[in-house]
Amino acid sequence: MSDGPDSGNTIAFECVEKGFNARKVLDKVSFTVAAGEALCILGRSGTGKSVTLKLMIGLLQADAGKVMVAGENMSALDEDGLAKVRRNMGYLFQSAALFDSFTVNQNLALPLHRLDRTKSPEEIKQAVHQALKEVGLEKDGEKLPSALSGGMQKRAGLARALVLQPKILLVDEPASGLDRITAAEIDELLMKVKTERRTTMVIVTHDIHGARKIGDKFAVLDQGRVLAFGTPEELDRHNDSRLNQFISER
Amino acid sequence: MLKSVFSSIGEVTLFGARAIRDAFFPPFEWEYLFNQFYEIGVGSFLLVVASGFALGVVMTLHTRSTLVQFGATAEIPIFQSLAFFNEIGPLVAALLMAGRVGAGIGAQLANMRATEQIDAIETLSVDSFKLLVVTRVIACTLMLPLLTLFMDAAGILGGFVSEHIWSRLSLTLYMHRAFDGVALADFLPPTLKTAVFGYLIAIISCFYGYTTNEGSDGVRKAATNSVVISSLVVILADVILVKCIFFLFPDQAI
Repeated sequence: MSDGPDSGNTIAFECVEKGFNARKVLDKVSFTVAAGEALCILGRSGTGKSVTLKLMIGLLQADAGKVMVAGENMSALDEDGLAKVRRNMGYLFQSAALFDSFTVNQNLALPLHRLDRTKSPEEIKQAVHQALKEVGLEKDGEKLPSALSGGMQKRAGLARALVLQPKILLVDEPASGLDRITAAEIDELLMKVKTERRTTMVIVTHDIHGARKIGDKFAVLDQGRVLAFGTPEELDRHNDSRLNQFISER
Repeated sequence: MLKSVFSSIGEVTLFGARAIRDAFFPPFEWEYLFNQFYEIGVGSFLLVVASGFALGVVMTLHTRSTLVQFGATAEIPIFQSLAFFNEIGPLVAALLMAGRVGAGIGAQLANMRATEQIDAIETLSVDSFKLLVVTRVIACTLMLPLLTLFMDAAGILGGFVSEHIWSRLSLTLYMHRAFDGVALADFLPPTLKTAVFGYLIAIISCFYGYTTNEGSDGVRKAATNSVVISSLVVILADVILVKCIFFLFPDQAI
């Protein structure tokens, strides 16, 4: 478990631009996430929220500007450099993205095998069990992802993202496809991670209710630009009707 | 249209060249490779053997009805073995593999792309191309010649069963007639050409699966393209390779 916030867990976007073919998805986007802070990125579909996460973990490269993660410019890193930064990052995908030919246990063991070569097979087994226990799936380790419900898959995906005890956690639409109760359970788990491990989090979400529970700051994206950035209270004080569409709980 | 065809050929060629290059550089994904050997080799075994046996029986029935008119039924075993070694075994095994394995690879990789599993692999700093593509290419390239051997054997056995039922021909005499006069050049080059077929099937199927990004429609397209294009390419490659074999082994052409 992390000892607490440290300056190495910060994320900074500096005038980042990203486009696909002729379409610009992100246009001069800048913001920072301090260590131990939870940033919720809100906005309509197609405004580049998931692209923002993929830039942070180096799955995509920015066309212009800098994506700084833990003090490293992600665009300038080679594969070894990326592996080093990713060692301290976890990523919960929108669809959980569990490897469907692997059991849940194997899904969780893979990051440990690949990114933490110091652990023995017994230690890996223990770490997998512990991670599954934290999300309440300790009895489902031998199941294939197809045998799990949507909520259980999300929890298993979260366990995989947390198994390396990352200092930075990226979460893409934790509530998508889930009923309110299951979505609330995932939010509770994220809250637990935030408070107990002081993990830096970036959460892309449409669920303003969950975002208000977890987020220390909000970034609202609209048409590839940051429409507003600040704490929920600061954003509430704005009198912008477009902004209110995104942050109002009604 | 023509530009897009040439562009696709260029992309697949580069994709295939990358797979060959990456196959020789570490890290090597041994565990995943052995899984692929099992899935592709063992998984296709029954289909190949059953098809080979059935083809052997049918081929013998057709050949007999023709040769009996010339009183040359004693030649059935050698016709059978040469037909299987030279063409039927390699080509049918390759087409079966394109159907079963090619469609599976295309659909599986496209689904992994659509459900972000390939992105998830990359976030673990694992080279997804090496893990998913190179292992399948190696497995298909090495497994198809082996499967062809089994298809040849099943075809000859099917031919024997058919002949035995018709004429009570003994196994020893059938095998003697089947292999008498069969040279290594009749058997080895056609069997080894299936390694090229296996490589082509894997590259084309992996290309359509790995590079798609169109959700469930992409899965459908990848599965269809994998089977159709790889079957077509295998048949075209067969024409070229047979010509090459005739050039290298002129006795075969006579």
